[in-house]
Amino acid sequence: MPKASFDGLALKELVEAGLAWLRTNQQTVNALNVFPVPDGDTGTNMLLTMQSAYAEIANSGQRNAGQMAAAVAQGALMGARGNSGVILSQLWRGFARGLHGHETIDAATLAHAFAEARDTAYKGVVRPVEGTILTVSKDIAAAAQTATTDDPVEMLRIIVAAADKSVENTPELLPILKQAGVVDSGGKGLFFILEGMLRQIDGQSLDAPLISVQPLSAMNLENALEDVEAGQDWEVVVDFRPKNGFELRSFYEQLESMGTSIQVGEGEGMYRMHIHVPLENRYKPIEYVMELGTITKVAIENLLAQMDELQAGTGAPTLELTNVEAGQIAVVAVSPGTGLSRIFASLGVSALVAGGQTMNPSTKDFLDAFDNLPTDKIIILPNNKNIILAANQAKGVTVKQVYVVPSKTIPQGLAAMLHFDPESDVEKVAGKMSRALDSIITGEITVATRSVEIDGVTVREGQVIGLLNGKLAVAAETVEAACLQLLEKAEAVTYELITLFYGSDLSPAEANRIADLLQKKYPEQEVEVQEGGQPHYQFIISIE
Amino acid sequence: MNLGLVSDSPCDLPADLIARYQIEVVPAMLIIAGTSYRDGIDITREAFYARLPALKTPPTTAAPSPLDFANRYRKLLAAGAEHVLAIFTAARLTSIPAIARQAAEEFPGQVTVLESGSLSLGIGFQVLAAAEAREAGQPLAEILATVRSTRSRLKVAAALDTMDYLRRSGRVPAAITALGGLLNIRPVVELREGLILPLALARTTQNATRQLLHALLGLGALERLTILHTGAEARARGFLSLLANAPGLPEQIGIVNVTTVIGTHVGPNGLGFAAVRSKA
Repeated sequence: MPKASFDGLALKELVEAGLAWLRTNQQTVNALNVFPVPDGDTGTNMLLTMQSAYAEIANSGQRNAGQMAAAVAQGALMGARGNSGVILSQLWRGFARGLHGHETIDAATLAHAFAEARDTAYKGVVRPVEGTILTVSKDIAAAAQTATTDDPVEMLRIIVAAADKSVENTPELLPILKQAGVVDSGGKGLFFILEGMLRQIDGQSLDAPLISVQPLSAMNLENALEDVEAGQDWEVVVDFRPKNGFELRSFYEQLESMGTSIQVGEGEGMYRMHIHVPLENRYKPIEYVMELGTITKVAIENLLAQMDELQAGTGAPTLELTNVEAGQIAVVAVSPGTGLSRIFASLGVSALVAGGQTMNPSTKDFLDAFDNLPTDKIIILPNNKNIILAANQAKGVTVKQVYVVPSKTIPQGLAAMLHFDPESDVEKVAGKMSRALDSIITGEITVATRSVEIDGVTVREGQVIGLLNGKLAVAAETVEAACLQLLEKAEAVTYELITLFYGSDLSPAEANRIADLLQKKYPEQEVEVQEGGQPHYQFIISIE
Repeated sequence: MNLGLVSDSPCDLPADLIARYQIEVVPAMLIIAGTSYRDGIDITREAFYARLPALKTPPTTAAPSPLDFANRYRKLLAAGAEHVLAIFTAARLTSIPAIARQAAEEFPGQVTVLESGSLSLGIGFQVLAAAEAREAGQPLAEILATVRSTRSRLKVAAALDTMDYLRRSGRVPAAITALGGLLNIRPVVELREGLILPLALARTTQNATRQLLHALLGLGALERLTILHTGAEARARGFLSLLANAPGLPEQIGIVNVTTVIGTHVGPNGLGFAAVRSKA
């Protein structure tokens, strides 16, 4: 006889399971990126949102399901990051609304809650797009509504199946997904959360060591540094070309017996293995890989020494943010790099929220920034299309008078700042700043994280690509070639000023060398070079 | 009345008007690499702007001596002037009015020294208003009222090519020259009662020009207008052509290459205007 209903504690367990399963599948969701750029990682954003949701209830013993759901929704709202995270938080909000006043959840209540979730999420988006997480929420709600079971577990099973089917169908609704050969990432993330809940009930593992191989260029080894475990303080990275008969599963199992923080990347027949091991084991992975194929490169580093170095290097020049007084307008800007932060500060920004392509700030990050400002009048510059929604959500939550100037790129944010006046009427200033957004052309240079054909451009993984106002425009073999092609495509010759903000991957010397090259090609235009400090993007370019 | 008129070289009045109204213009001093030049006499504006960007040590400016002013007052009074009216560069920007006032103490009751609160034709238009009122036969009190009226309807603004010269001039609050900070900014500024105030910030010349045009067209009908530039004749002509169909503009609109002692502090390739709104 199945349980006839879930109470608050059961719901808490399900939320924890959904979170765990999403964490396990985070990289899978991240890999579902339409553009081959290191873009705002959907999996990471949804995971951070779910973490915040769970943190709200982690210590709760609430038996009332409605109240437990309300707490989850509150946590999700505060931690929402990126578009997908914001929509996820809205799904939770609607879900909680549907459970309001219910001590326990039966099958019918569950169906009702998913209908509310769908309605709230659709309302939260100005122009809903089908083939996204929204569609998945709609299909779930529809399946739940027509289901005849009175068993909430069976209802959940139906919902998970509907989510799976809906996700697989997203490329049929959204041509860009089909073109890129992926399903919608946000929808897939939602599926994993729901599937995790079901796996928990079915007694299936949520942290099965899945074998995941990422594209070589997407391997982020810096982040691995954060989780150094005691005793595992040597990092070994081996590049190799495997012999025939290379078997991934046994390879993983062997590595797991040696150390932690295992990552494996693959690209064009090459593999890269990354592992943290204790001092005495540091040669073991290398000896093991030698049996499997030809080693092309080995790097062994002492992580503790590396960490010390990193900490010593944080004596960055201080930021001089603009002081703001009560009654004046303060600007809160999102910045992905120290150089850009300094530039924003010099233009009159009063608070900076760290974030950008690969790290979308949460609603709470914005709210914290508001709280620290002694004024009620605030303008937000999200400076990234994936952050606008979180900024709007923060605006909806705070009691302060907030305007979001929807800047989609850094150059747009800078263009808007030129029209900022702290003394003027906040609505007028926000309007003036918003009108300035389209006065500028944005170029971005980065490395493709996989091969794809999109917007009529064919890109091979590892190629340097250029985006023009957010659209893939060029692919080339070198940064300078990509810059040249991009400027040509932008018809830079008809403009006056080209500003290059170079990223952390590029040395000042290299940035200046490329700038000189561009100046030669564009003698009539002014070429300005500034340190941006943003990750992943060799250059952010403004053309005006 | 027989009123003598005195101004300083930053008034930027064209030579024909200076001759016609017999205005005594005291040259300010320009110092380039240790050599002193009398503004408008020892160095031409064209030569100056051609040299300015390449100068290793930035030029500096200096006020004339009290004797330079006293000589002009004495000359006019000796030639039969009943009184002398002297109108100079804003006291917030230069010591010229203070020195001129000191020189006037030698001629008690005979010389009235005014500071214009302005620069370039912002001074020049006040001097012209006085000259025209004198020609209309107005008494001193009315002439002074006319000058005050002109001053109250004055607007001087400029789109500068860079903040660097303004920053170095030491005549503008750091809060303003710090605007834009790390980026190359083309500021659009206004001169009001000797204070330089920001109107807009731009990154491109085109945008700065647009902002300046916006400021000008917002003034309504104009009694006087002159386009100012610092060694950027083509830019000034281009700006003038943008005004072709604008209503309420005076028949004659001058173009003036601003004098060297101003150019030193605002830099080359600047564009601006001095305008006097029509009486309501």
